[in-house]
Amino acid sequence: MPGAKLAFIGESGSGKSTLLELLAMILRPGEGGQFTFHPRTQDETHDVAAAWQAGNLDLLADLRSRHIGYVLQHGGLLPYLSVRDNIELSRRLLHGTSDDVAERWAERLRITDQLDKRPAELSIGQRQRVAIARALAHDPSVLIADEPTAAIDPLNAERIMRLMVGLVDELGVTLIVASHAHALMRHAGLRMIEHLVETSDRNSMRVTVTHAA
Amino acid sequence: MQPDVSRLRLVIELALREFTHERVMSACFVLSLSAVLLPLLVLFGLKFGIIGNLLEPLKEDPRYRQILPAGSGSYGPDWFAAMAARSDVAFIVPRTRAIAATMRLQSVDNEAGRIISVELIPSASGDPALSGLEPPRGLDTIALSLDAADKLGVSEGDSVKGILSRTLGGERQTVLLPLAVGAVASAAAFARDGMFVSPELLMAVEDFKDGRAVEALGWSGAAATEGPRYFAGFRLYARSVDDVAGLRKALMDRGIDVRSRVADIELVQALDRNLSIVFWIIAGIAAVGYGLAFGSSVWANVDRKRLEFSVLRLTGFRTRAIVWFPIVQAVLTGVLGWLVAALVFFVVQAGLNILFAETVGGGESVCRLLPAHFILALLLTLGAAAIAAALGGRRLAMLEPSLALREA
Repeated sequence: MPGAKLAFIGESGSGKSTLLELLAMILRPGEGGQFTFHPRTQDETHDVAAAWQAGNLDLLADLRSRHIGYVLQHGGLLPYLSVRDNIELSRRLLHGTSDDVAERWAERLRITDQLDKRPAELSIGQRQRVAIARALAHDPSVLIADEPTAAIDPLNAERIMRLMVGLVDELGVTLIVASHAHALMRHAGLRMIEHLVETSDRNSMRVTVTHAA
Repeated sequence: MQPDVSRLRLVIELALREFTHERVMSACFVLSLSAVLLPLLVLFGLKFGIIGNLLEPLKEDPRYRQILPAGSGSYGPDWFAAMAARSDVAFIVPRTRAIAATMRLQSVDNEAGRIISVELIPSASGDPALSGLEPPRGLDTIALSLDAADKLGVSEGDSVKGILSRTLGGERQTVLLPLAVGAVASAAAFARDGMFVSPELLMAVEDFKDGRAVEALGWSGAAATEGPRYFAGFRLYARSVDDVAGLRKALMDRGIDVRSRVADIELVQALDRNLSIVFWIIAGIAAVGYGLAFGSSVWANVDRKRLEFSVLRLTGFRTRAIVWFPIVQAVLTGVLGWLVAALVFFVVQAGLNILFAETVGGGESVCRLLPAHFILALLLTLGAAAIAAALGGRRLAMLEPSLALREA
C-alpha cells in the first residue's frame, strides 16, 4: 500500500516497538514466517525473512539505507554533528554527497535557524523535527516513527504530526507510527491497526495484525 | 549504493568528529595511556643509559680485551702462527724479555733536554692500542706514549734519538739510533713512558743487549743464533670482550698463566643481565596493564555510545563499516598517548641527566633512548590499539541495536 498511513496503537509494553523493529529490519524475526519488502520506486521484491536466515545482514543494512527512514522517540540525533550534518547523514551514506539538502528540509520543518547548532542546544520538539528531516532526506519508501511525539507537549505534538503527515502525503511515502495517543493519530488521519505480539522467547515470535475499523 | 571506500571515509570522518566533540573524554583516555607508557619509557631509558655507560668502555676501550702473560715463557713461531689463526684473537705480537725491552730517549731538536727511559712495546698494523694511528715501521719509525712525548716535548713528525748501552767483555758500549715519531698514542693506550716499536726493532734491541751483532744497523757483536727464534712473552687482544673468558681459559689450559680484565667484564655483564631481567619483568607487567587499560577504555566507550552506534545501524551503516569507528579512535588515542608520553619523557630525561650529571660525569647520560626505541614504543602502542579495537569491535558486533534503542 504505497502512501498508506498506519498507526499501531497500544500501551507501552504491548509490543509496538518490537513490531516497528521487525519492519525496520533490525530485529531478527522468528523462523518460518514470511516477510517481503517492495520498495515503492523500484519494481523489485526482497525476501527479508530469507536474508535473515542466510545471515545477509549487509543486504538488510542496504535496504534500510535506501528505503527506510526512522524516527526515534528521542530523536536519536548524533550529538557530535550539527543539525545540518545530522539531516544530511542518511543522504551522504546513500549517495556519497549531501547535495546540500539540509536547507530545503529545514525550511519545510521550520528549523532553518537551528541548522548550525548541535542537537544538545535544541528543544525536544525541534530535535524531533530534525529527526524527521533526516529520516526523509534520502527519499525513502517508508517512514517509521516510534512514539515520535510522546515526549512533547500536546500542542506541539499535534503540529509535528500534521507536518509529518503533510510531508508523507506530498512525497507519497508510506508512514508507520507507533503511539499510545489514540486521538492524536486519528486526528492526523492515520489508519488504526491492532496488533498482537506473542513472545515465548527471543527466537519465536508471532505477530498478528488486524485492521481496526 | 556508494562503494565501500566512500562509506568507510564517512565512518572515519564521524569517528574523528566524535573524538574532537568529546574532547575532554578523549583527553582523559589519551592521558591515561601516556601515564602507563611514560614510566615504561623512563625505566627503559634508565636501563639503556646506565648499562650503556657500563658497557661502553668494554666495547670502546681495548684494554678490556687485552691478555698478557703473567710470567716469562718461551713461545716459538709455530705457537704465534697458531694463535694468530684463532678466530677469537684480534691481534698478537711477540714480546722480548722485559729487561731487554727498554731504551733511553732524547729529543733531537733539544740536545739539552732530559733523557728518559721508555719501555718498548711491540706493535704492528692492526694494534688495537693504536687504533687509527700510524703503526711503527721498520727500524726507524716508532710511536710514543703520551707521557713520553710530553716529557720529551715532541709531537708527531719530530725526531728523537735512541740511546742503547751494553757491557760486553768488561767494556761499556753505547750506540745511538735516530728515530722518527710516526704517532703519539692516546693516554689510554699506555699509561707510562713507553714506545711502540716494530718487532724487528725490538729484536734488534734484544740482540744488541745480548751482545749479538745487528747488521742492518751496523752494530757489531757475536753472530746471530741459528734456528727459530723464541720469545719470552706476547701482547694479545681478543676479538671482543665476550671472547676474553674463553681465550683466557684456553691459555690457562696450556699452562700459560695470564692476566686479563675478565672479572671486570663478567661483573658488568652480570649486572646487565640482572638489570635486564628486572626490567623485562616490570615491562611485561606494565605492558599487560597497558593493554588492559587500553582495551577496557575502548570497550567502555563502545558501551557508553551504544545508542549512537544503533542509530548508525538504523541509518543503514553496515556492521563492518561501523567497526572502523572504535578502530579509528583507538589508533588516534594510542598515537596521541604515545606522543604525550614521548614529549614528557624528554623533560624527565633532561631532569634526570642534570640530577645525576656529577655522578656519571664526562657528558654521559643516565637516561637516554634511541629513535628506534620510540618507534618500538609506537609499534607496541599500535599493537595494543589493535587488540583494544578488536575488543571494541567485538563488543560492537554483539550489541543488539533494538535493545540499545529501547534504553533510549
